[in-house]
Parts: sequence; C-alpha cells; structure tokens
Amino acid sequence: MKTLKEMLAEARQVVPEQGPADLKKRIDAGEPLVLIDVRDPDEYRDGFIEPATNISRGFLEFRIGGAAADPTTPIVLYCQSGLRSMLASKVLKDLGYENVTNLQGGFQKWAQSGLPVVKDRPMNADQIQRYSRHFLLSQVGEKGQRKLLRSKVLLIGAGGLGSPTALYLAAAGVGTLGLMDGDVVDLSNLQRQILHSTPNVGRPKVESGTEMIRALNPDVNVIPLPTRITVDNVMDIIKDYDLVIDGSDNFDTRYLMNDACYLAGKTNVHGSIFQFEGMATVLAPNQGPCYRCLYPTPPPPGLVPS
Amino acid sequence: MIQATEAIKVLLGIGEPLIGRLLTYDALGMRFREVKLRRDPKCPLCGEHPTITDLSIHRGAADACAVNDNGHAAPAEAPAATPRG
Repeated sequence: MKTLKEMLAEARQVVPEQGPADLKKRIDAGEPLVLIDVRDPDEYRDGFIEPATNISRGFLEFRIGGAAADPTTPIVLYCQSGLRSMLASKVLKDLGYENVTNLQGGFQKWAQSGLPVVKDRPMNADQIQRYSRHFLLSQVGEKGQRKLLRSKVLLIGAGGLGSPTALYLAAAGVGTLGLMDGDVVDLSNLQRQILHSTPNVGRPKVESGTEMIRALNPDVNVIPLPTRITVDNVMDIIKDYDLVIDGSDNFDTRYLMNDACYLAGKTNVHGSIFQFEGMATVLAPNQGPCYRCLYPTPPPPGLVPS
Repeated sequence: MIQATEAIKVLLGIGEPLIGRLLTYDALGMRFREVKLRRDPKCPLCGEHPTITDLSIHRGAADACAVNDNGHAAPAEAPAATPRG
C-alpha cells in the first residue's frame, strides 16, 4: 500500500509547480489558461482567485471536459494548500492533459502574498430568478453574473446615449453604476432620453436616473455624480471603475475621456450620435487604437454643431 | 444598446469587442458599416513617441491645438458622423 507521501512524490514527478507571483504574471499577460479551484464550493465562496472556475476534486474527472476540451489547453489547478490540487493535477495528466500546472502553496500562499482574491456573496432567491436567463447563456452563467455584480461602470452623460446604456447595464445586474451628468431634465430631452420621465422635468438628471435605475434593479448601487467631468476631477473619478462609457455630447469631453482613460489604463466604450447617424467603438489601452489615432485633433470650434 | 453590450462583453471577457473597429449606423438607410481601425504609431497619446503624457493639454482652450505641432495633419475631414451625445 502506498502512503500519501509517496503518492504526492509520484505526482510531483510529472506535474510542474508554480508560485503565486508566476501565476499572477500569466493571468495578467492574458494567457488563455484555464484556472480551476478544486476545493469544495463553500471554500470557494469564501474567497477565490479570479478567474477560477470551481470544480471540486470529487467532480474533476466528470467536468474537466466542459472546462477544457482540448488536451493541450494550459490548465492550472489550486486548492487550499497545494496538496489536493497536486493529486488532482496528476489525475488530469493521466487523463491526457499535457499542460497542467499546480499552484504551489495553493490559495493560502496566494492570499498571504497579498495578491487579489475575490469573494462572492451567495445570490438570493430573487437574484437567481432575475438573472436566470443569463445563467442559460454558457458564456455568462452564474459565474459571469457574479462578475457583473462585482463590476463598476462609469457613465459619462445621462442623456441620449447614457440613458439606454444605463438601463441595460442596470437590468443586466452590473453592480455599481457611476452616473455623471451636470444637467437637469428638460422636456425636450424626453423624446429620446428614456432614463427620465415627465414628473422629473427640472430635476438633476443624475437624481432622476438614480431613481429609475433603483426601481428597475435594486441590486445596483448607483453613485450619482451631479457635475461635469473636468480635467481636475477625471482621474480621481475614473480610478474607482473597471470601465467607462463615454456618452458625452461634445468634443472637449470626448478627447478628455480618451486621454484620461488611456493614461489610467481604463477601457472606454465610445459612442456618438448625430441626427440619424451613430457610431461606436471600444478604446482599449494598448490593445487597439485610441480616439486620437482616428482623429488626432479636435475639430475647430464652430465647425461642428454641438 | 451597442455600448451596453460591448461593456458587458469587455467586463466578462467574452466574444469579440469592437476593439480596432468602428461600427457606424445609418438609421435612414438602415445600414451598419464596419471600418477597421489601426493604431497610429505617430499618435501623440498612444504612439511610439507620445507627447501627451498627462492631461495638461486640456487646461485652457488655447492648448487645444497644441498637438498640431506633432507632424499631425488635421484630419482630412471632420469626423464622419459629426457626433453628438
């Protein structure tokens, strides 16, 4: 009969190990690795490493095919201390997965190294029902929904573009929405700015928008910012968000948002509209062009209607 | 709706977001068009030798034209859709 020590030694001969710092580098570099947390679901819920999927040890052989269909997929396994996942990694090797690594020291060492961990609150019955259609989409699922609930999006402008975007993001369960606009609701806005309603004419757009969003989805934490974005406040405001939606109505703001988001490393989902024409693009720092790559300088004042 | 969908895709890391692509929409003709966009190595912000390294260019209206000294010609035409919010 083999001892546990012998089994671990056998596994270590075929499974390479990697420390937390190296794994973090691979994740940050965007390597398409599949990270699997093999602990029990209650351990996972108490804190895990983004973007891990939880397949507890007992189900690993049954569910690994769903997480990694191709045997050459880079897979990293972790458990609490690195031992369970070492034995689990050996099983994946035996199944024919070629590129399996064990996280040395497990979740414990990762957390002790001060690296970021994610904690999910279990969804309540209403949330399970509200987001049930998302669960049916394999690319979203419960895991994606929890990620949306943890996400923070800043909307620049609660007008023609910001209105539908705010409503859709709120409905989808994006957990934190910063709503920034210095204007008040005007009757002439209501023909298109569907975040606002007739009784709110004359009130600040962020107040009107906050009420509408809370009524639509109480899960959303709305942060009303009843002011214009300026060179002096932009960096301090965007630092708290994962992503920015530019729904502004002028070139000064568009260039300011482009420059600030690039410098802060925030993805900027850009949109603009004029009469019957609209356009949209995603400005992701260092992954694609910025707004100045398209239009290096703002058009001279007066050339374009505002 | 396009901005919301793109935001969710980026947040979840799924699909192909509109990075490096400009999607234009003409409601009267009901046509969507896609224009491929490339990074400009001479871009004053994200190019190889950036001249915009902070937001000081946004202080004071007179500075708004400062990037013109960068070897950047003004765009041949105003942004196609003369966009508004």
